[in-house]
Amino acid sequence: MGTLTLDGLCRRYATTTAVERVDLEVAEGEFVALLGPSGCGKTTTLRMVAGFVAPSSGRILIAGRDVTHAPPHGRDTGMVFQSYALFPHMTVGENVAFGLEMRKVARAERDARVREVLRLARLDGLGDRLPRQLSGGQQQRVALARALVVNPAVFLLDEPLSNLDAKLRAEVRIEIRALQQRLGLTTLFVTHDQEEALTMADRLVVMERGRVRQIGTAEALYERPADAFVAGFIGRCNLLRGTPEAPGQFRTASGALLPCLPQPARPGDILALRPERIALRAAGDGLPARLAAVTYLGAQTEYHLDLAGTRLVAVAPTPAEGDARRGLAPGDAVLAHWDPAEARLLPAEPGDLLDDQA
Amino acid sequence: MAALLLPATLLVLGLLVAPMAMLFRISLNQYDAALMMREALSAENYLRALADPYYREVLGTTLGVAFSCTLLALLIGFPAAYWLARMESRWKSLATILTLFPLLVGNVVRAAGWMALLGRDGAINAGLFGLGLVAEPWPMLYTTGAVIVGILAVVAPYMILTLAAVIESIPRGVEEAAANLGAGPMTAFRRVVLPLALPGVAAGCVLVFILCMNAYATPVLLGGPQFKMMAPAVYDQFVRGTNWPFGAALAFLLLIVTLVLTIIGSTILAGRSRSR
Ligand SMILES: Nc1ncnc2c1ncn2[C@@H]1O[C@H](COP(=O)(O)OP(=O)(O)OP(=O)(O)O)[C@@H](O)[C@H]1O
Ligand SMILES: [Mg+2]
Repeated sequence: MGTLTLDGLCRRYATTTAVERVDLEVAEGEFVALLGPSGCGKTTTLRMVAGFVAPSSGRILIAGRDVTHAPPHGRDTGMVFQSYALFPHMTVGENVAFGLEMRKVARAERDARVREVLRLARLDGLGDRLPRQLSGGQQQRVALARALVVNPAVFLLDEPLSNLDAKLRAEVRIEIRALQQRLGLTTLFVTHDQEEALTMADRLVVMERGRVRQIGTAEALYERPADAFVAGFIGRCNLLRGTPEAPGQFRTASGALLPCLPQPARPGDILALRPERIALRAAGDGLPARLAAVTYLGAQTEYHLDLAGTRLVAVAPTPAEGDARRGLAPGDAVLAHWDPAEARLLPAEPGDLLDDQA
Repeated sequence: MAALLLPATLLVLGLLVAPMAMLFRISLNQYDAALMMREALSAENYLRALADPYYREVLGTTLGVAFSCTLLALLIGFPAAYWLARMESRWKSLATILTLFPLLVGNVVRAAGWMALLGRDGAINAGLFGLGLVAEPWPMLYTTGAVIVGILAVVAPYMILTLAAVIESIPRGVEEAAANLGAGPMTAFRRVVLPLALPGVAAGCVLVFILCMNAYATPVLLGGPQFKMMAPAVYDQFVRGTNWPFGAALAFLLLIVTLVLTIIGSTILAGRSRSR
């Protein structure tokens, strides 16, 4: 167990830069998730830590030791591959014992540790099976057990849940987190599923086109996103183009004037407003809006608002039956209200607004 | 289904089994200087071949050359096959074609090339002499070594391509997992790559061994008149000696020895890949 430090890590290919100057500190026992859209460089970063991809520049330190140029077998990382990569010609027991054998652990201790980790991974009694005689979920747990049993300095997982069905995924998520905490493993976890990252990780690293956009806890990223990309990527967010007028006033591209947090503004800023922070009322404070669409989602209902040409999405718990708001229908006039502090100006880069918003 | 298999079955019967059956029948006949052969049912030809020290030596030479070439082809072929299988770039198909390149030249033409290279007045001796490294031409042609090198050049592509196909089917992730768990390259090879490649090793060795056992042009041209392997010996009996029954018996001995060794070898390798 130890810390993991990435210091200005870069990886360039002939035509692309897969990873660009990534700096990251993972504390001992911390669980950090690398999160980002496909092709943003998550796998490349993880594989550089494991030693399968050579960095173009930058350094990697594991437990304070510079391993930038160390071969994979000299790094003491435990990796769970997306494909599991179990040894097909070895039994489950032999697969799990492999790392201990390489570390020259004596036979008796090896057997004891293999038994223990198989129990932890709920694989007791399967030690003599071959990988092909296991279900996908069991294979996944063997891959976990094989990486865990050696007590690696850093535990690395590349989308380990992506081959499991939704129900199993939710279960294994909790299991991995429990094991990680119980063993105090320093963990780097790659996923493109934000829910997975939010539920499992102590901190998240949001990446985009090879760069780190923001590092923080789930709450920090959600409540205080550094830019429009993070705001749109973590959870849902209304992202509106326009120009700040007076302090606390934002003129959208289609002409509506929206209240916002008074902030020093830079050109190109975007107004970010979470859908659930918008309240709909019949009377009182608020901007007049027309309902363009109402989508019933069970626990929640989604309201698509039209404020003089500016589209906003609001989300609220579905009102109880009999509540007047239950009857809201497209075409109805409502008042949309939010605390101006909830509407923030965020810097944006070209390409940050991926959806229909703006 | 059965009807669909019929033409293929007939073809195999006609092209393979029938000539073999004829050959076997002939091997039981007796040689007759005037008639060429006389109908008989005797094992005499087989007994003679096995008892004759000359043919025992020919068989021994054939086995020695075949085993040496198979082993060398495996040792040279494995690294080459691994490299080929793990190649990522667009050069991969080019490399595959280059591997096949030696097979574009027929055995006789290739052997003639070796003769020009290895002979008394060949390119190598001329070079050595020119550099003052040898006073007398170094005898290379008409040696067992020349035959082994010559056959190796023919069979190596078969070994490499057979192994490469199997190595390619081993996911790279498995090797990475071994390295990640602390196995150095040699250990990863011994514990993971080799066991998973064993079926390919077996197939490649069997293929190459059969090719070596039946080599004809290379031993004749590079081994010279004193050097004999089984296939040329069979030819001698049929064409020069016109002793068809004895030639047929030699051919069958060659077939049986090859078959038995092939079966033993692949059984051992298959057993190993299962147990590990
Ligand atoms: N060997 C390579 N040669 C050239 N480009 C590569 C190579 N490996 C990765 N890349 C590029 O680097 C970028 C990052 O790839 P990477 O696999 O790290 O993405 P990722 O974040 O893991 O994506 P995903 O979520 O789809 O797995 C991609 O644009 C990819 O095309
Ligand atoms: Mg990836």
